[in-house]
Amino acid sequence: MISLKRLWVLLLIVLCTACTDPVSDAFRFGLAGAPANLDPRFATDAASARVNRLLYARLVDFNDTFEPVPALADWEQLSPTHYRFHLKTNVQPFHDGTRLTAHDVKATYDFILNADNASPHRASLAVIDRIAVDDETSLDFFLNRPEPLFPGYLVIGIVPAHLIAAHHPLHEHPIGSGPFSFLARPDETRLHLLRIRDQQRFEFITVPDPTVRTLKLMAGEIDMLQNDLPPELVDYLEHDRMLRVQRTAGTNFSYLGFSLEDAVTRQVFVRRAIAHAINRQEIIRYVLDNGARPAQSLLPPEHWAGAQDLDPITYDPEKAQALLRQAGYSREQPAKIVYKTSSDPFRIRLATILQHQLKSVGIDVDLRSYDWGTFYGDIKAGRFQMYSLAWVGIHTPDIFDYVFHSRSIPPNGANRGRFRSTVADTFIDHARAAPDLETKRQWYVQLQHHLADALPYVPLWYEDHIFIAHREIEGFAIARDGNYDGLIHVRRSPPDAL
Amino acid sequence: MFVRFLISRILTAFAVVFGVVCLVFFLLHLVPGDPVEVMLGESARPADRAALQQALGLDLPLHVQFGRYLANLSQFDLGTSFYSKRPIRDLLLERLPATVELGVAALLVALLMAVPLGILAAVKKETAWDVGATGVALFGVSIPNFWMGPMLILVGALWLGWFPVSGREGVASLVLPALTLGTALAAILSRMIRSALLEVLNEDFMRTARGKGLAERTVILRHGLRNALLPVITLVGLQLGALLSGAVITETVFSWPGIGSLVVEAIHRRDYPVVQATVLCISVSYVALNVLTDLTYARIDPRVRLGSRP
Repeated sequence: MISLKRLWVLLLIVLCTACTDPVSDAFRFGLAGAPANLDPRFATDAASARVNRLLYARLVDFNDTFEPVPALADWEQLSPTHYRFHLKTNVQPFHDGTRLTAHDVKATYDFILNADNASPHRASLAVIDRIAVDDETSLDFFLNRPEPLFPGYLVIGIVPAHLIAAHHPLHEHPIGSGPFSFLARPDETRLHLLRIRDQQRFEFITVPDPTVRTLKLMAGEIDMLQNDLPPELVDYLEHDRMLRVQRTAGTNFSYLGFSLEDAVTRQVFVRRAIAHAINRQEIIRYVLDNGARPAQSLLPPEHWAGAQDLDPITYDPEKAQALLRQAGYSREQPAKIVYKTSSDPFRIRLATILQHQLKSVGIDVDLRSYDWGTFYGDIKAGRFQMYSLAWVGIHTPDIFDYVFHSRSIPPNGANRGRFRSTVADTFIDHARAAPDLETKRQWYVQLQHHLADALPYVPLWYEDHIFIAHREIEGFAIARDGNYDGLIHVRRSPPDAL
Repeated sequence: MFVRFLISRILTAFAVVFGVVCLVFFLLHLVPGDPVEVMLGESARPADRAALQQALGLDLPLHVQFGRYLANLSQFDLGTSFYSKRPIRDLLLERLPATVELGVAALLVALLMAVPLGILAAVKKETAWDVGATGVALFGVSIPNFWMGPMLILVGALWLGWFPVSGREGVASLVLPALTLGTALAAILSRMIRSALLEVLNEDFMRTARGKGLAERTVILRHGLRNALLPVITLVGLQLGALLSGAVITETVFSWPGIGSLVVEAIHRRDYPVVQATVLCISVSYVALNVLTDLTYARIDPRVRLGSRP
C-alpha cells in the first residue's frame, strides 16, 4: 500500500519537475489573448497585429488623424496607378544583421499576393498589379485601378527576402527590423522580447480571465496591461494607490443596427425615436465609468474624413414618444422589437439598460443573447430586427462602401441591415472616384450627414483605451488605435522619484 | 479466453475512438461560426473569404474534407493549426507535460486529503469527527472550480503572498491549481474510502488482527485500508483519465498552458484541426485508461472476462 509519506515524496517530485525559470528584471505586460501568429503575412488577430508592430517595421503608418504617413519609406505618386517608394536612410537592419532593402519589401508583398501562399491579406492588396525594384532603396507599385488611399494599405511588416526563400518559420522564430527582437516563447501563454535600444527584456503574459489578470496586476506579477477589463474592475484598480490608470479617447465605434426590411425598424421615425430614447451620457457615466465618448458617426470627428459639424443626438424622451406616435405607435399599441446581442455579460448588462430606456418611451424590447458564433451568423444572414455591435480598428473611410453601399448587401459586403439609398450610393461612388484626399473628405462628410439623417445605424459611443500600470512605470503613451507602441519608450522611474 | 477478451476490448476501443472522430468532425462543422470569418474579422471582403476558404480546404464538400482528414489521420498526421500555422502534434506535445503535471499533482493532493478524511470518518463513525469529515467532503464537492480558484488566489496569492496568482512559472505556481482541482476529487474519494472501510472494519480478518494484539493503527492501515482501497483504486484510475484530459476551467482560471486551455482557445477561434486533434487525444487517453481498467479487472476477476455474474 502507498503510505502517506510516499505520497508526499511523490508530490515533491512533481513540484520539482514543474520548475521553470521566471524572467527576472523584465517588464511584464498582461494580455487577454495570446498572439496567434508572429508572422505578419498571416496574422489577423488584434494581439498578433499589436505585437508584430514591435517586431517588424512597415512602409507606412497612420498619424493621429488616420492619414497615412511614412514609416520605413517616403512615397511619390507618379500617376494615378503608379507609386514610387523610397526607403529612408536610417532604416534599421533585420534582427539577424542583414540589411533591409527594396528587395525585401517586394518579396514580402509578392508572397502575400501569391494565391498559393493563402495569406489572409491578399484580397485587401488586390489593387496591386505588379511591383518593380528600381534599386536597393526604391521600388514601384503599379496598380490595376486608381486608388488615392493606396499608401494606407501598405502597413504589413516587412520580412527578410532570404528567409522567405528559405521557408524560415517566422511564426515560431520571428525576425523583423522593428524596435523589439524575439527572444523566446516558452509556451503559448508567454512571449519574451528584447527592446533593442537598451537591451531591456519584456515578457508578454496571457491571462484570459479579467479577474485573474486584475489580481495578477495587484500582486505585482504583471507590471502593466491595456484594455480588455470591464469598467467595474477598472474602477476598482483606480482606487489602488500602487497603480496608475491612464485613459485616452478610442475610436472603436459601438452602435445599434437595424433591419431595414422589417416592418417596424424600417421606419425612420422608429429609428429616430430609439436614438432620442437612449440616454447615452448616463450610460457612459454610470455603466462605462466615463470610459467612452458619445459617437455621431462611424468615423470619429478627428479622423481626416470625419464630420466635425454633425449635430449631437440628444436624449429627449418626449421627442421620442412624438416620433413613435408619427409612426403609428402608442402606449396602448407599443412598437415591439427583438434585440439580439452576444452572451458577453457586460454586453448583456448594457442591452438590459437600453431595453429599460426604450420601454420608458413605449417600445417593448424582447432581449435575446446568443453565443458569439450564433449571434454573428444571425447578423450576417439578416435574421434580426435590432442588434448591437462595434466596429474595431477602422483606419480608412472605404469602410462606408463596405457597410452602407447597396452593392455591399451580404454576401458582397457588410450592409447587413439592407440599407438602400441612392443618395448614399452616389456620395460613396463620388468619394471613391475622387482624385485627391480633400475631395474625398468633402464627399464623405456629406455622406455622414446623410447617414445621420437616415440612421441605418444609431451611433452609441467610442470606448476609451485604458492603460493600467504600477506607479513606477512611466513613459507609456496610449495609441489611438490601441497598439502597443508605447512600450518603445516605457521605463521604470528610479525608487527615489516615487 | 483472455486473449479473445483483450482483442474484443481493443476493437471496441477503436470503434469508440472512430465514433468520437466522426462526431467531433461533423458536429464542429454544424456549430454556427466559420473559422474564416473569425480569422478575417468583421471587415473581411468576399474575395478574402473565398481565397482563405480555398486555401484551408473549407470550400470542399464536407464528405471530401472528412475523407482527407481520415487519410491524414491514418498516417498520424494531425494537421496544422489554421491560426498559428504550427503542426498540431507540436502544440499537443508542448501542452501535454503541463496537463500531466497538474493532473498528477491534483491527484496527489486529493489522495493526501481523502485518505486521512476517509479513515477518520469511518473509524469515528457517527461522531462529530464523522460529521466534520462529511461536511468537508460536501464542501469540496459543492464548490465549483471557477469560484474555488479565484478564492484560493485571493487568499494564497494576494493576502498571504505565498503563491503566484497564475501561470506556470516555478514550483509554487502548481500549488493553487492543484488544490483547486484536487479538492473536488478528494471529496468524492474520501466518501468512497469511508464506505469501503466501514464494510471491512467488522470482517473476521480484522477481528483476527486485533486478536493477535496488533495496534489499532496497524490494524486499520495495514489490514483495513489495504482491503478497502480496491474500489478506490478503480475510481482513481478513471478520475486520472478525466484529469489528464485537461481541466478546462482550472486551466483557464490559472492561465495554465495545458490541453484544456488549448481546446478552449481553439473552439473560440473555430480552429477545427486543433479542436479535432485535442478531442481525439482526450478520447484516446480516456479509452486507453478504461481498457486498462477493464483488463486489470479481468486479470483479477475471471468472472468479468467470462461475462458472467456471481
